[in-house]
Amino acid sequence: MYPILVLSITGIITLFLGFLKSKKVLLPATLFFVTLAFFANLYDWNKPGLYFNNMLQVNNFTILLSAVILLSAFLIIALTKGFIDDEHAQPAEYFAILQFSLVGAIMMTGFQNLIMLFIGVEILSVSMYVLTGSDKRNLRGNEAALKYFLMGSFATGIMLFGIAMLYGANYSFNIDAARTVVTQMVSTQHSSVYLYVGVTFLLIGLLFKVSAAPFHFWTPDVYEGAPTIFTTFMSTIVKTAGFAAIYRILEVSFSPIYSFWWVMVIIMTVLSLIISNVTAVSQGSFKRMLAFSSVSHAGYMLMAVVGLSNKSDDSIVFYSLAYSLATISAFGVLMAVSKEKLVDGRPDESIAVLNGLSKRNPFLAFILAISMLSLAGIPLTAGFWGKFYVFSDAAFRGHIWLLVVAILMSAVGIYYYFKPIIAAYMRESEGEAISLTPFYKIILGITTFGSILLGLFPDLLRSLM
Amino acid sequence: MKEYLPSDFLPILVQLIAAIGFIVFTMIVTHSIGPKRHSAKKDDPFECGIEAQGDARTPISIKYFLIAILFVLFDVEIIFMYPWAVNFMKLGWFGFVEMILFVALLMAGFYYIIKKGVLTWDKE
Repeated sequence: MYPILVLSITGIITLFLGFLKSKKVLLPATLFFVTLAFFANLYDWNKPGLYFNNMLQVNNFTILLSAVILLSAFLIIALTKGFIDDEHAQPAEYFAILQFSLVGAIMMTGFQNLIMLFIGVEILSVSMYVLTGSDKRNLRGNEAALKYFLMGSFATGIMLFGIAMLYGANYSFNIDAARTVVTQMVSTQHSSVYLYVGVTFLLIGLLFKVSAAPFHFWTPDVYEGAPTIFTTFMSTIVKTAGFAAIYRILEVSFSPIYSFWWVMVIIMTVLSLIISNVTAVSQGSFKRMLAFSSVSHAGYMLMAVVGLSNKSDDSIVFYSLAYSLATISAFGVLMAVSKEKLVDGRPDESIAVLNGLSKRNPFLAFILAISMLSLAGIPLTAGFWGKFYVFSDAAFRGHIWLLVVAILMSAVGIYYYFKPIIAAYMRESEGEAISLTPFYKIILGITTFGSILLGLFPDLLRSLM
Repeated sequence: MKEYLPSDFLPILVQLIAAIGFIVFTMIVTHSIGPKRHSAKKDDPFECGIEAQGDARTPISIKYFLIAILFVLFDVEIIFMYPWAVNFMKLGWFGFVEMILFVALLMAGFYYIIKKGVLTWDKE
């Protein structure tokens, strides 16, 4: 609860800091604010409770998810370099919007009331629409922002319709009250069609936000068109928050009607895994490849939701963290490398731009290799344990053929995740050496160290719960 | 409560058929009885006397749009104030402080956009 208050206030402060002559103060100030929110978040550890007239819930699960979100946000904001190089950028606005969007993300992890879920989704989405189009002179960015906005508002509309239907079925927006009604319905064999329509529509809306197939069509265009730093934000924080919301609503309210929604979710899981992994193989652009990879990771995280075992919440937290760390390093490397070579005035974001990276900057090549290995799920990286946990969740419910599909698709994944590594280590280089600021190096070092540490000692995080 | 049968909605169906029928009827009749003249100018998509120039991607002043947005903002604020005013006595000091907080946040945003120069129209 505290990080919501902190970030709302510091967001406004950041806006006013923008009036200062020097833009240099914004980045350290924002980093400080996010750190403040991070520790304010931990203050509630082991003190579960309900706040604001039963609107928000705080327990260790929501605190851990918020911690993952705030940690990713800190690392991403640290990679921005304060937007000082770009004369058209509005750093104060970007940082303020990022902080406001974090408020939405944290609401999505801790909602106790469907209204709060809706507000959280909206705060996060609207911020993302704006940030996608923040590069006003980039036509692709404008296109991406408009596409994202139109499709996103439709998805939100569908979600809101679902929430209205659920109110018709449960007579309450409270998710605990919903569980009571749903349990009663199951025990008396008296089913309400509103409930089923509501659950389906709510799921459609939320799965759109985390870009699970068949609601993933916006993902590659939007991820490619948005400035890379905001793509990173979208593919880590929106995904973590979205899965927190999906898992909480299904686990708290609708686990009694598991037999109704598991077929739906399992079909979406399989579709996400197959479509994304097969399409990612033929991508020439590194950014588009990572977009499809994010769809596939949505599929893996859905496996934890389908499993719905008593360990699923741990799996979701672990997977979010492992995926966020790896994705931030991958995009961080891309940002550092792509600005060296311009194509039509835009940074070159193809996989070929990574050619010979091991000679141009061995440190970046190593970071890239570890992050790709972690995304592919190779042992001794965090990604391996993430996959291991979600696979065990799916096995818990006995969905063996789902496991078979997932393992086959992981094998396909290894193929395309190795393409950047091969480009970096085997291909000849053309460009000059790439120099990095020490701060950038430290941040990328932290993400990579985190991936390896969690790969060696996964219990560090699991033991917290 | 009165139970409605599907047959009770028959008037709506009749209305729908009448509406669609009218549209189809007028479209067919106007196409068949109107005169047809074709020429290069006539078939131009923007046939209105002035030839099209440039493309549609020209910068447009958004000043009026900003004013409209500001209006909506304060409009919504008033909407929130009405129910609060009706229940003012019941909500007491708690409601008063909440409203002060709401207005303070709104004013912070308003001060911000004024500083950003929304209302200085003639600035180059």
